[in-house]
Amino acid sequence: MQADQLIVENVSVSFSGFRAVSDLCLKVRAGELRCLIGPNGAGKTTALDLICGKTRLSGGEILFKGKPIHRLSEHAIARAGIGRKFQVPSVFRALSVRDNLHIGHSKQPGVLANLATFGQGSDTEDIERLAELVGLEDELDTPAAHLSHGQTQWLEIALILAQDPSLILMDEPTAGMTAQETKKTAQLFNRLGGRHTLIVVEHDMGFVRDIAQTISVMHQGKLLAEGSITDIESNQAVRDAYLGSGGIGHA
Amino acid sequence: MEIFVSQIMTGLSIGSILLLVALGLAIIYGVTGVINLAHGEFVMLGAYAAWFLQTQFGLGLLASLVPIFLLLALFGWLIEALVIRHLYDRPLDTILATWGIGVMAQQAIRLTAGGELRYVQMPKSLSQSVNILGATDSAYRLFILFLSLGLFALTWGIYRYTSFGLKLRAITQNRAVASSFGINAGRLYRTTFAYGAGMAGLAGALVSPLKSVSPEMGTTYVVDAFMVVVLGGTQSLMGTLASSGILGELSGYLAFYSNDTIAKALVLLAIVVLIRFRPQGLFTARVRA
Amino acid sequence: MSNQGNNRVPEQIQEKGIAVFRPELRENKELERFRVSVKNGNALARTKTEIALYAAVCLAILLVPVFLQDAFLLNKYARYLVFGMLAVSLSLSWGYAGILNLGQAMTFGIGSYCMAMMLKLKTVPVHTGADGLPDFMVWNNVTELPWFWTPFYSPLFGVLAGILLPACVAALLGWFVFKGRVTGVYAAIITLAAMVVVQLVIIDQQAFTGGFNGITDLGQFDIAGITFDAYGSSSYYLVAICLTVTLFLALAITKSKTGLIVQAIRDEEDRVRFFGYDVALYKIFIFSVSAAIAGLAGMLYTIVMEFASPTFLGVPLSLSVVIWVAVGGRQSLLGAMLGALIVTGVQGALSESETFLDTWTLIMGLLFVLVVLFLPQGIAGAFASLARRFERQRPAPARKPVQHTEPVPNGREIESTR
Repeated sequence: MQADQLIVENVSVSFSGFRAVSDLCLKVRAGELRCLIGPNGAGKTTALDLICGKTRLSGGEILFKGKPIHRLSEHAIARAGIGRKFQVPSVFRALSVRDNLHIGHSKQPGVLANLATFGQGSDTEDIERLAELVGLEDELDTPAAHLSHGQTQWLEIALILAQDPSLILMDEPTAGMTAQETKKTAQLFNRLGGRHTLIVVEHDMGFVRDIAQTISVMHQGKLLAEGSITDIESNQAVRDAYLGSGGIGHA
Repeated sequence: MEIFVSQIMTGLSIGSILLLVALGLAIIYGVTGVINLAHGEFVMLGAYAAWFLQTQFGLGLLASLVPIFLLLALFGWLIEALVIRHLYDRPLDTILATWGIGVMAQQAIRLTAGGELRYVQMPKSLSQSVNILGATDSAYRLFILFLSLGLFALTWGIYRYTSFGLKLRAITQNRAVASSFGINAGRLYRTTFAYGAGMAGLAGALVSPLKSVSPEMGTTYVVDAFMVVVLGGTQSLMGTLASSGILGELSGYLAFYSNDTIAKALVLLAIVVLIRFRPQGLFTARVRA
Repeated sequence: MSNQGNNRVPEQIQEKGIAVFRPELRENKELERFRVSVKNGNALARTKTEIALYAAVCLAILLVPVFLQDAFLLNKYARYLVFGMLAVSLSLSWGYAGILNLGQAMTFGIGSYCMAMMLKLKTVPVHTGADGLPDFMVWNNVTELPWFWTPFYSPLFGVLAGILLPACVAALLGWFVFKGRVTGVYAAIITLAAMVVVQLVIIDQQAFTGGFNGITDLGQFDIAGITFDAYGSSSYYLVAICLTVTLFLALAITKSKTGLIVQAIRDEEDRVRFFGYDVALYKIFIFSVSAAIAGLAGMLYTIVMEFASPTFLGVPLSLSVVIWVAVGGRQSLLGAMLGALIVTGVQGALSESETFLDTWTLIMGLLFVLVVLFLPQGIAGAFASLARRFERQRPAPARKPVQHTEPVPNGREIESTR
């Protein structure tokens, strides 16, 4: 059994008195593919925000590869090897797909070093390969603004892959995708497992069934249950939490 | 003791003028998200309106306050309808457009009223001095202090307790949702813009007896007003009130030891340093992103 | 995405997934590398056209004195070119990085004062005591040359200060503003406030800065034996060469990866941050480069105008720069520069007649509002979208047969060539 790559310990955060996340504990092994589910407002996105530094925690600590990261700035956390895909796809709309990927490729983040970098240079092959992987090889010179919603989702996933972080945080990666595209995403994620650690927030239970090894369920800012898909589906507390939101599959 | 009281009063006087000028700006920015760079010119127009009404019609300053408010409100209403309305989704461009409007207003005044300094008479009933705890202060400055607090209370009351204010708060929270409940955002924005412009006009009229009136006077006021808004944050009117008071006292205190210019430079420096650590202003609550 | 593409998805993922993560398994690597170069060539060709265009404009500017000997006209045109350079500096920070600097004249003014201080000391013999002081200091009863004036005896220091001081001021201001995550309208306002305050301080400190009158009666700038007379072709060449160098330097920055990242920051600041780039540092960098260029422009302006004045740091000039750049096109360095030349040129022509002297500001304000409303990308933007429309109407250019992998709309030619 591998060591835990990410340890979230007793983490809390509150906004103007409202505790969005309270005493959350999570442990994720290197190379694991973890799904994070829960009813609306359970604090899933906030949990990802806390890990990648977008939101500062008010208590507890987060360890990544054994080092505390919750005091680092966002870019330092990213450099430590954590990538984040946002719920609303976020790409550089004015730039071409190629330029987008070039920016995603961020092994060398310094201002002055990049000042002397023209064209894609040695990154060209990686960029081409990634574009092909997500089916954007014919759109390399298209501005990202002209892509469809599904393509934009894919582009952002490709950007994260270009960054090549060891831990990837995905916030609803299949939102707005067709059934076909969702299937394609599931296959990609299964392939990524092992090489990358993934934490995926998802509402689509079909998708979760396709990819998840372990599922963590959050409810009202707390960890409610953790286990395999069958464990979770038979868990009474989870069912209760989803009551009123139409059952686990539709949350 | 006298020096102390007089120092406090000087600060309050500066602060009350800041509040007058910043109030309109803060309302417009808070509700519509538009930074109105022509705000200083609205102030300037108010001052010129006071001068015009006084010299042409012999109207006293106090009597002309209501017409000036209405005049500038109408002007603001027109500006919103003609220009700002088209730019709500391009915030940086509203700065540019309002800047252009400001320049045009300045030049229009220069061409019609002339570029020279103009002076407005203080109301006679308020031209004497008042003794407070041994320190003397001009009655007019006290008048401005109370009037600015009164206008602030009025604005706050509208915002807090009327159905119009409720709609405003709804719009500020989430325009799309508010609109779906039948709130006419466009009309609210226009009314707000007109109200803010009217406030600026009042501010201009009220400061006109204290300072000389010139086409360029707006620039310093707009910068001052922005400092108030930056310090106070844009979430609450109370922030505007508090930061006007703080900046007023601070400027008064610093100016006592050097001069107005150095005081202004130091205040700006303090604000720039402050935003590094509290970019959302001093009086803003943390919200869920 | 086409239906055909969707149906083939599973295999595609399988094959290409392997290729991505195990490059050594890729069969037709050579073919791919070839495709890459072709596609890259497309962007490269565009860059080459751009460089050629820039070079042509600069060459035209450099050739003006060959055909024009009128000293006053040359001086006037040199002044316009300085404004062009100022516009380039704003285009860099506003158009590319999205930092709207409403106080661009601040760094311009600082540069111009540095040059003026240096040239003023050239008229004053080097010794201490009342005699060795600039005239306005004597009038203000200053007895000794202030410490921040003395280094300006060195021309090298003066020139370096004119570029580095604005850059440092900008870096410092940027550190507070950008590290504090202040963006958009707020940042814009702070730049404006900073400029207004610096101007007030300069006017206020009359004894050290000449106050309202500025610094006048300057010596002439010389370097390596060449004296730059404001009304000679030498000054014109100096300005034109500086402009050319700046323009290409700025172009190089925008074409580098740093330039790309800066544009990405303009679009989606957070996205860039979570890739591991220090967003604030990138902004500070571009803001400072912009300030350095503005400072250089300010120095040249002093040489051409033969004085420095607090109006150089004024709101009207700052507003003018924003207008030039907005009219010319903020996202094109060349467009911004030409915008400055066109607007100031028209202004110069119109202000010779009595009627327009007064109404010019009014017209410019109106023009500005109209551009903002109806032409947000300026003239350059309008040209670019025209050109794009024209390109789309023409059939794909027939070239050598191997090159039919150019981006044809929805084209899947690639597959057929395999």
